[in-house]
Amino acid sequence: MDYYITDYKASGPGAVALESGIMRKNRPAAAGSGILANFAAPFDAAVVTRLLENGVEIAGSTRMSEFGVCIAPDEPVPASGAVRAVADGAAAAALCNDVFGLNRRQAAENGVCYIHPTYGTVSRFGLIPLACSMDQIGAVCRDLADGFRLLSLIAGNDPNDGAMFPEKKYEYKRLDKKIRVGLPAGVVAMADGASRESLRDFAAKFAAADAELPYFGAHRQVMTILACAEISGNLSRYDGVKFGYRSPEYGSLNELYLKSRTEGFGAETKLAVIMGVMTLSREEYVRRYDKAMRIRRLIRDSLRFGEYDVIALPAAIGGSRYDNLALYSLAPLAGLPSVSFPYGGSGIQLVADVKNESALLTAWEVSRT
Amino acid sequence: MQDLRVYEALSKFDMPETERRWVNARADMLIESFAALDGIDASGAEPLVTVLDIQNVLREDEVVRVVTREELLEAAPEQYDGYFQVPWTLE
Repeated sequence: MDYYITDYKASGPGAVALESGIMRKNRPAAAGSGILANFAAPFDAAVVTRLLENGVEIAGSTRMSEFGVCIAPDEPVPASGAVRAVADGAAAAALCNDVFGLNRRQAAENGVCYIHPTYGTVSRFGLIPLACSMDQIGAVCRDLADGFRLLSLIAGNDPNDGAMFPEKKYEYKRLDKKIRVGLPAGVVAMADGASRESLRDFAAKFAAADAELPYFGAHRQVMTILACAEISGNLSRYDGVKFGYRSPEYGSLNELYLKSRTEGFGAETKLAVIMGVMTLSREEYVRRYDKAMRIRRLIRDSLRFGEYDVIALPAAIGGSRYDNLALYSLAPLAGLPSVSFPYGGSGIQLVADVKNESALLTAWEVSRT
Repeated sequence: MQDLRVYEALSKFDMPETERRWVNARADMLIESFAALDGIDASGAEPLVTVLDIQNVLREDEVVRVVTREELLEAAPEQYDGYFQVPWTLE
């Protein structure tokens, strides 16, 4: 299967690929969806502008699941084109929006790394939106030192993204302090034997601390409810009128909407939209959506970054994508930076406090010594 | 199995029956999993709408142009005389 699209000119060894939800002017930007078939981006995403201003070559566009949606609990995990492009050496790095953890997990499993930056530090202007309170452009990279160099080029306030911190630039560097690693024992126990062993080996290189995640059993449900609600709003813009796919056969305006959306979206995306519309309905709002927002605050407030610098998690706790969603919900739900990388077993994911990416870089570098 | 037809209609979908069954079955699995939230008392927590602890700051309005009207219309499936074209909406 062709995981990356090479319709751009041949690129050099330092070139960066873009997941197809990141727009490059006059290039296809389908975000993996039939509803955006034949859509050409009218402008460059802010991250593309910054890459080009810094002399970075764009390698091409990588395939993705439709808009990055991944919520059907029992389906196989779709392969990440961004991870494959970097793992195969077709690009030095790839930028993507990894809401559901597909890229973060597959990076660790395929010998490459992923950086999910702090929410509000990388502009999403020109990113085709999925779930706005969680959308964040991150990078698949060969190693984290490379990845953070790339991130330093694209991170910083952009007036075109209204949900950003004010800093114009960020510096990611090795910290001159001992990193404290928090291990949530209950989560570690869910991983397979090899991954548990790897996590213990990793933690032994640092000052270890207990890190409780008291709402871990609710992560994936809160994530699903909130993400689907936001997805249903964001995808309402696809109506067959302003851009994207329009069904060839329709009578009334309502039929145009129905047929264009029914034919243009895949089943899993429809599932996400319908779940979102349901949780936002008058009957379900308080019981589902409002409660999920409140638990989201409990999740964020339960973290104790004064007692540890990073939380270490396995990169997988089983084969099911829904089980693993619990691992990858923490960073987007709390707006935190995280990295994932190979380290024995299934690999490791680290999560740090807001704008403390340097602790992640430091922990990764120390773990390699 | 939940009857999601009202939400399907509100979502502006009209799915074939096989797809509807597939979607409904997965919706059932997800809804069943939501029971894990029932035991959590979150009534004392304020809803977390955004994770950014920053306040909105207004600036002076500035006129900028990212894309032109023509460029936006170019992306439309059908256009006529400088407007998006849709079927008749009035009898």
